[in-house]
Amino acid sequence: MTNPYVPLLFLLAIGGGFAVFSVFAASIAGPKRYNRAKLDAYECGIEPTPQAAGGGLRVPIKYYLTAMLFIIFDIESVFLYPFAVAFNQLGLFALVEMVLFIITVFVAYAYVWRRGGLEWD
Amino acid sequence: MTGTGEQVLFWVLGPISVLAALGLLFAKKAVHAAIGMALVMINLGVFYIANQADFLGIIQIFVYTGAVMMLFLFVLMLVGVDSSDSLVETLKGQKVASLLLALGLAVMVFLAIGKVAFPPMKGLDSVNAGTGNVTGVANLIFGQYVWVFEITSALLITAALGAMVLAHRERIGERPSQRTWSERRIRENRNVAGLPAPGVYARHNAVDTPALLPDGTPSQLSVSRVLSAREQVITPVRHVESEHDIEHEIEEGRDR
Amino acid sequence: MSSLAFAAEAVTGIPHLAAAVPGADNPHADFSDTPWWLSLVKALLVFVFLLVNTLVVIWFERRVIGRMQQRPGPNRTGPFGLLQTLADGIKLALKEDLTPKNADKVVFALAPMIAGAMAFVSFAIIPMGPMVSMFGHRTPLQLTDTPVAVLLVLAVAGVGVYGIVLAGWSSGSTYPLLGGLRSTAQVISYEIAMGLALVAIFLYSGSMSTSQIVYSQRDLWYILPAFFSFLVYVVTMVGETNRLPFDLAEGEGELTGGFHTEYSSLKFAMFFLGEYVNMFTVSALATTMFLGGWQAPPGIAAINDGMFNHGWWGLLWFVIKLWLFMFFFVWLRGSLPRVRYDQFMRFGWKFLIPVTLAWVVAVAFIRGAQLGYFGNSSVGLAGREFPVATLIIVGLIAALALAVTWVWEGKQAEKQAAAEAQLPEEIDPFAGGYPVPPLPGQRLREPSLAIEKESNRA
Repeated sequence: MTNPYVPLLFLLAIGGGFAVFSVFAASIAGPKRYNRAKLDAYECGIEPTPQAAGGGLRVPIKYYLTAMLFIIFDIESVFLYPFAVAFNQLGLFALVEMVLFIITVFVAYAYVWRRGGLEWD
Repeated sequence: MTGTGEQVLFWVLGPISVLAALGLLFAKKAVHAAIGMALVMINLGVFYIANQADFLGIIQIFVYTGAVMMLFLFVLMLVGVDSSDSLVETLKGQKVASLLLALGLAVMVFLAIGKVAFPPMKGLDSVNAGTGNVTGVANLIFGQYVWVFEITSALLITAALGAMVLAHRERIGERPSQRTWSERRIRENRNVAGLPAPGVYARHNAVDTPALLPDGTPSQLSVSRVLSAREQVITPVRHVESEHDIEHEIEEGRDR
Repeated sequence: MSSLAFAAEAVTGIPHLAAAVPGADNPHADFSDTPWWLSLVKALLVFVFLLVNTLVVIWFERRVIGRMQQRPGPNRTGPFGLLQTLADGIKLALKEDLTPKNADKVVFALAPMIAGAMAFVSFAIIPMGPMVSMFGHRTPLQLTDTPVAVLLVLAVAGVGVYGIVLAGWSSGSTYPLLGGLRSTAQVISYEIAMGLALVAIFLYSGSMSTSQIVYSQRDLWYILPAFFSFLVYVVTMVGETNRLPFDLAEGEGELTGGFHTEYSSLKFAMFFLGEYVNMFTVSALATTMFLGGWQAPPGIAAINDGMFNHGWWGLLWFVIKLWLFMFFFVWLRGSLPRVRYDQFMRFGWKFLIPVTLAWVVAVAFIRGAQLGYFGNSSVGLAGREFPVATLIIVGLIAALALAVTWVWEGKQAEKQAAAEAQLPEEIDPFAGGYPVPPLPGQRLREPSLAIEKESNRA
C-alpha cells in the first residue's frame, strides 16, 4: 500500500454508502399518510412563523463575531502545529518568534474582550 | 510523471470542482452557492494531498472548509439573501466594465500559462521521507518566511478589529435582569403576579391563543407582543371552522 | 523504574524522547505489507466495530443511567435488554419519513448524509493495536496513518459541522435554525481549545502521526507531563460532541429537539448515530494522545518481558480505555444538569482559550529547557542530575501561576468585601401601619430594640 489516503477513501465510501442508503431506505420503508398539519414546521402548537422567500430566517449578528474570532484562533493554532512538531530542530529563535506571534494575537483577543465582544447575552 | 491513481483522481474530482464552481455562480439560493464553494475547497485540499503536500491539504480543509466557509454561511443566514433583492444597477456600466476586465484577465492568464515551460518535476518524495512533511513546512515558516509569518499576526489583529467594528453593538448601561423586571413590576404595582397566561381550549392550548376575560372578550395581555405584531394570534372562532377540515384530512390520509 | 524517578522524569525531562531524528514526524506504523484488499477488509472491520459499539453503548448508557436513578433500565428485548437499540433502530426505519413543507428538499436530505458519513472517517487513523498477522500479512491494527493524522480528525470534524448547520437551515423552521446555529457556535468555540490542548502533545512527541505518538509514549504516558492538556481535552470533547452537561443545542426546554426537530425516521437516526460515533472518535483520540493508545498499563506491561504489549492484546487495552471514557460520558449525563448558554460560551472563550494558550507556551519553554536551548549546566541532587535551565523554567512558571492565582483571589476577596460592606438600610416594618417583610437590600429594625427605645422615650 503506497498511498496512506486510499484506506481513508475506503472508510469514507463505506460510511457514506451506509448513510445514503439509510436516508433513501427511510423514504421507502416508512408509511406515507398525508396530513397538512404534519408537514407544517413544528413550533409548539402555534401557527408557523412566516418565512421570507428563499428560506430567509435571520439570525443574530453575534454569530458572525464568534465565527470571525474562531478563524483568528484557528489560524493561530495552524501555525502552532508545525512549530510544535518541528520544535526539536527549530531552536530558540523559533520559540522567541512564536512567543512574539502569540503576544501579538493576544492583543487582538484582549481588545475584543475589553470591548465586550466575548459577552453573550 | 504523474501516477495513474493521481490522474484518475484528477479526472474525477476536476469535473466535480468545475460543476461546484459553476453552482456557486448560478445557484438561486445563496446557501446552495456556499455549499458549492465548500465542495470546491474540499477538492482543492484533496488535490494538495494528492500532490504529496499533506499538511497544506489538511489545513486547506481545516481552515477554509471548517472556518472560512462557516463564516460565509453565517453571513448568508444573517442577511437573509433572497431572490427578491433589488437588481437595479447603482453603478452605471459596471457590468460591461467588469465583463471586459474579466475577459482581459482570462486572455492574459491563458497566454501566460501557454508560454510556460515547466522544468522536470521534483516531487516531495525525498523531503517527505527525509525531513518530514510538517517539519519541512515548519523550516520554511520559521526560516525563510519568518517575516511573513510575523506579519500575519498583524493581519489577524485587523480582522478582529474589523469584526468588532462591523458586528459589535456596544451595550450602554446595564441589561435589565429578571430581578430588575420583577422589582419594577412590584414598584409600579401593575401585573404584580406576571401577565395572564394564554388560553387553554379543548383543541388548542399554545401561546398564540388569547385567554378569555370574564366578559368573554379575548385578553390582549395574555399573548406575546411579538405574536400580535406578526399577526400570528388565533381567534377561537377559527378552530371551530377548521375542525371539519382537519377531520376530513385525517380521513383522507387513511384512504391512501 | 521506581515511582519517584518516574515522577522526577515527568517534571524535569524525558531525555529519550528528545531524540531529533530526521523524518521523525512520519508515521511509525509500517504499512508496507498491507495490500489494498486488506485495507478494504480493515475498513469494513472498523465500520462494523463502530456500529456494534454504538448499538451496545446506547444500551449501556440507558442501563447505567437507570441504575444511577434507581430503576432497571431497558431489560426486555433480548438478554439483559441488549437488543433494545436494534429494536429501536428497526422501529425508526418503519416510521414515516417527513419532509416539512418549508424545507429545502435537497439540503434537507443532504445534511443527515454528511453527519452520518463524516462521523466514521476519523476513526481510520486511530491505532487500535500493534502489528498482527492478518490473512498471512504482517499489518498494524490501524487502518491508515499519515504525518498529519491528528489534524485530519479536526478537519473532518470541521466538515461534519456542516451536517448540523445545514440541517438547521434547511428545515425552514425557527427552532432547528436556532439549534443549529447554537450547536455550530458551540462546536467551533470548543474546537479551538481542543486544538490548542493537543499542541502540548505535539511538542512532546514531535509528530502528528498517531502511531508515532503512541510509540513515543512507550515509557511515559502523556497524561503525566501534559496533565493540564488532558483536563482541557476532556472538557472540550464533551463540548464538541454536544453531550450533557453541554447539550445546549438540544435544550428541550428552550428549543425542543434543536437542529433535528423536523427530522424523523432514519434521517433522525443518522444524526443520532453520528453523535455516538463522534463520542467514540474523541474518546479514541484521548486514549491515543494521553493514555498510551493500545499499550498495556505500566504494571501489566512489565509482565513476562512485555508479552501483553504484542499482537492482539493491544486491542483489549485499547477497548478498555475507550470504554472508560464512554462510561465517563454516561456518568456525566447521569449526574450533571445542563449549563446555561452564556456561561458555557464564557467558560470556553474567557477561560479555556487563554489558559490553554498560556499552558502551551509554558510547555514550549519546558521543552526548550530540556532540549538545552537555555544552556546545558546541571546540578546533582540526591544522586540524580537535574538540568538547571529546566528547574529555573519550571520554578518560574510555578511562581507565575501562583502570582496570577494570588492576584485573582485578592480581587475576588475585594469584590466580596465591597459587596458585603454596604450595610443594608434599616426600615421599620410597622411604619405603614401593618407589618411588611424587608425588600432586598433592606433589613428590619430589631423589634426588641425598637420596643425598648419606645419604652425609654415613654
